[in-house]
Amino acid sequence: MLSKDKDKSVASKESTPEGAAKRQEDGAGTPKQQLLDIIGNMKVEVSYRKKLQQLKASESKKQAMNELEGLDSEGSVPQGITEDTQRGKPLNPELVKAASAVASSLPHNKKQTVSELLAQLRRHEETTDKQKKGGTVNIRNVISEMTVKRQSSAQRGARISGRFSLQLDEDGQRTRPARSSAQSVDSRRSLKVGKRLNIFTKASTEPEHALKTVSSPTIWDLEFAKEVAAVTAQPPRNGFEEMIQWTKEGILWEFPIDNEVGMEDDAEFHEHIFLEKHLEGFPKEGPIRHFMELVICGLSKNPYLSVKQKVEHIEWFQKYFEEKKELLQEI
Amino acid sequence: MAKSYLISLQVFSGAARIVQCHGKVQSCDCTLTASSSGSRSSSSSTALGKTVDNAQVTQEEIVLPRRKTWDKLAVLQTLASTVNKDPTAAHYMFQDDPFLMPRNAANSRLYSLSKESGRNAAKYIIKNFPQYFDKTFAEPNIPCLMPESLTPQTEGVSEEALRERIHLRMVKESVDMFDQLLQGGTPVSLETTNSLLDLLCFYGDGEPTPENEQEEKEDLEEPEVNASEQKAPKRQFERGSQSSGPRWRENNHAERIFKIMPERNAHSYCTMIRGMVKHGAYSKAYDMYIDLLNERHKADVHTFNALIRAAPYLKERFTERWELAKDFLTHMAQQKVQPTLLTFNSVLKSLRRCGGVGRTMSLLVLKEMEALDIEPSLASYGHLLSMYYKGVDAQSSDIISEVLDEVEKRSFTAQDPDDASFFTTAMQVCCDLKDIKLAYQLNKALEKGDNWKFLDVNQLNSYWSKFFSLLCMMEQIEVVLKWYREMSSSLFYPGPKNILDLLQALDAANQLEVIPSVWEDVKQLGFSRRRDLLEEFLSLMSRDQHPSEIQLAFAKCAEEIKAVHEPAGPAQVPLEWTGSALGHVVVLFSRAGRIQDAWNMMEHFQKINRIPTDKVMDEFLNCAKQTNCPDEAIKMVKLAASLGLLSSQRLKSRTEEEFELSETQKKALESIKWDGDSSDSDSDSSDSDRE
Repeated sequence: MLSKDKDKSVASKESTPEGAAKRQEDGAGTPKQQLLDIIGNMKVEVSYRKKLQQLKASESKKQAMNELEGLDSEGSVPQGITEDTQRGKPLNPELVKAASAVASSLPHNKKQTVSELLAQLRRHEETTDKQKKGGTVNIRNVISEMTVKRQSSAQRGARISGRFSLQLDEDGQRTRPARSSAQSVDSRRSLKVGKRLNIFTKASTEPEHALKTVSSPTIWDLEFAKEVAAVTAQPPRNGFEEMIQWTKEGILWEFPIDNEVGMEDDAEFHEHIFLEKHLEGFPKEGPIRHFMELVICGLSKNPYLSVKQKVEHIEWFQKYFEEKKELLQEI
Repeated sequence: MAKSYLISLQVFSGAARIVQCHGKVQSCDCTLTASSSGSRSSSSSTALGKTVDNAQVTQEEIVLPRRKTWDKLAVLQTLASTVNKDPTAAHYMFQDDPFLMPRNAANSRLYSLSKESGRNAAKYIIKNFPQYFDKTFAEPNIPCLMPESLTPQTEGVSEEALRERIHLRMVKESVDMFDQLLQGGTPVSLETTNSLLDLLCFYGDGEPTPENEQEEKEDLEEPEVNASEQKAPKRQFERGSQSSGPRWRENNHAERIFKIMPERNAHSYCTMIRGMVKHGAYSKAYDMYIDLLNERHKADVHTFNALIRAAPYLKERFTERWELAKDFLTHMAQQKVQPTLLTFNSVLKSLRRCGGVGRTMSLLVLKEMEALDIEPSLASYGHLLSMYYKGVDAQSSDIISEVLDEVEKRSFTAQDPDDASFFTTAMQVCCDLKDIKLAYQLNKALEKGDNWKFLDVNQLNSYWSKFFSLLCMMEQIEVVLKWYREMSSSLFYPGPKNILDLLQALDAANQLEVIPSVWEDVKQLGFSRRRDLLEEFLSLMSRDQHPSEIQLAFAKCAEEIKAVHEPAGPAQVPLEWTGSALGHVVVLFSRAGRIQDAWNMMEHFQKINRIPTDKVMDEFLNCAKQTNCPDEAIKMVKLAASLGLLSSQRLKSRTEEEFELSETQKKALESIKWDGDSSDSDSDSSDSDRE
């Protein structure tokens, strides 16, 4: 536990140096350029494990020195911010010892270095605490963050333009708070971690919503649906997609082809063809029967009449022959 | 229906062979469909061999699967999925006559628009002359190709008639009918009035023009852009950033009807608010919302979405805008209106106009969406990217890499009209960050599932164009060329900038011999008259000495470039020569040994009032030496002298030293005077020649 803390703290206190060190490994440049790079790109996300590895890999103390130079001037404000938000527990004494060891190894003002490093540590520990708790939104924090961020975005232009002249005086003092807090915000800038607005609560199954009457879609809904559909409505990329589009519109036959599409015929095929059962009213032999069988044969081959119409035909004949029955029998 | 049988199996030791006997009894359906479909009966029943010992009888139930029903598009969709991209073909919609295939981006746009306008013309004719299209030949009838009747059927003044007109979206007639009804004393029901209000608020008091369902959305005229007489004067509080649609007119029909309504319900207020926000009357919408609250009505989720979208136009400072949006959200929570994806997308869209505040808050909004189990759509990510990557200063790629990680996992469906701009925004960000790996990741996301549909034909072109520029900057030349061969004319049409980038990449990789083939492409693309491209080509070709075949190829290109500058045909206006271009052409001709062409070019210098550089003249001399034409050399020295160049002395001495000159030539050379009098020297030399 202790060692892990120490590693983390070592990593965290070297976080900015590490970010800069990484960048310096990437691109060569004068030390001043490197310093300017740091100031300009204070958005490197602090990933502790990666930084730890890089810490082990990098060797140039000189680089660390340069970074601390930058760290010096910005060290003042982190203390200010930490004073605002008090931390519950004090820093690990091991960390304090480590910080003083680092300070003693460097040729700068030892006391100042120590205090700045510790302030930085405090800030990072605070950050980790907050994130560990999965922090609820403290509205004050949100608002304080917001104002500071605004300052930073306003000062951003000044920062970039002042790139080639390090202004460590009043301007420096003013840009520092923005930068360091921007750094803290940016270090947490990720889609995965972060707080939520906490305005809405997740709606569990709500019966009253289910009961809500769904009115017919208004013109707003229809037009919105059309607009959304138009987003992904691209012209067809090959012949098959064109056929798909035509099928959806109703221009093309649907596969597998059913050649009875569009025909409403509630009678089955055998009712069309096997019409002998309608011949029961006719005599079983004789020319009439013969005639009627021919009629039936013709009707069965007729695709244009419905069953009802065919039956009507046969009945007409039946009626006709009934009427003429007397006449026929005379013959 | 198929009945399943219990079949007893015999499992043998060693090889366990399961023998299946399929049997099915079906009631004889008169539809005669061969319903042995789903179960593909492999009626290969092998003979049963029995061994006496080790015979185990197991009972296993075989369940015959039900017949699968496929929907009407299944076969076609399967077939469509087998078709891969053809890198040599243009888009399918252009595959008709090879002559009509577009060669560059402008043409492709023109052709696709013309195809669409042809379709619109046909629809127009069918709509306006339906009497010629009343015969139905097709069996079964195809309703979508038949003219549709848009005239209202019910006559007279009644609520039925009003409802029908509203349904047919006839704005003016509906309003007239409504007024007639009121004057006649018949009360109109709340529901009908509400639907009339819907119509009026949606169209903003204008008429719906025939909608152009085009793929190219830049040209999409919104249906509300109506005749100019209805255009409203701009409201004084608008920033003028809304560009589409007419403005909300003071006291237009919607407001008037709203005021005279005897009773109003929540729907009336909501639709008025939505209409006002849509047409730019933001503070009116806000006042209407206050009225709604005073009347103790409950607004629905769409109204809240509209109000949130209006928030940036109601306040000036970033924090105030965000506070207002947050107020709306809290009202929603209080009134128990559930937010949807569109709500959060509206919040993100408003946060785009809130600067740094917006940036911070956007992440909180995303977390909120996650907490409510609402999946972000492409629009949400798009807004996020535009917030974090505004401007061109170098920023960290954390946000975009996380976004891309999310996006490439899913196949998205369109849920928000703003989804369409995600891919182009993301590619722009990748180009600004100069990160090729992110671009590859984005391409992979584009290929997943249906994501390709979010880029329409024009956006495709700009997307791939940007990608290609990034490639030229960041990748090795072989990769660049491979992409170039695959992508041109099938995925996108290179623009002039792409060609310039390609040339630079070739230059950096020292593969200038590819230039002639690039020149061929440029000719096909129709950029052969662009001065910047020509300059770049010529300067790259003429910069260094190359082996002779390449030099010859370069000279051919130079000749074609020369042809551009000359009058050819009645319609062509020749390009004007510039000094540098002319110099380069001379150099190229000289290096290829085409002395006569080079001399012709040299003569142009005087016409355009330019002076050839020393390098040009030296090259010319070299060429003359190689081809053994001292006359040309002398001519050139004369030219140099006549132009009064300082280097003419040097050239003269060079000519004397390096060439085998005859007596006449030597005399001609001597007689060239250096300062001033060009006419004298000319006459002198001509005299000496005649001698």
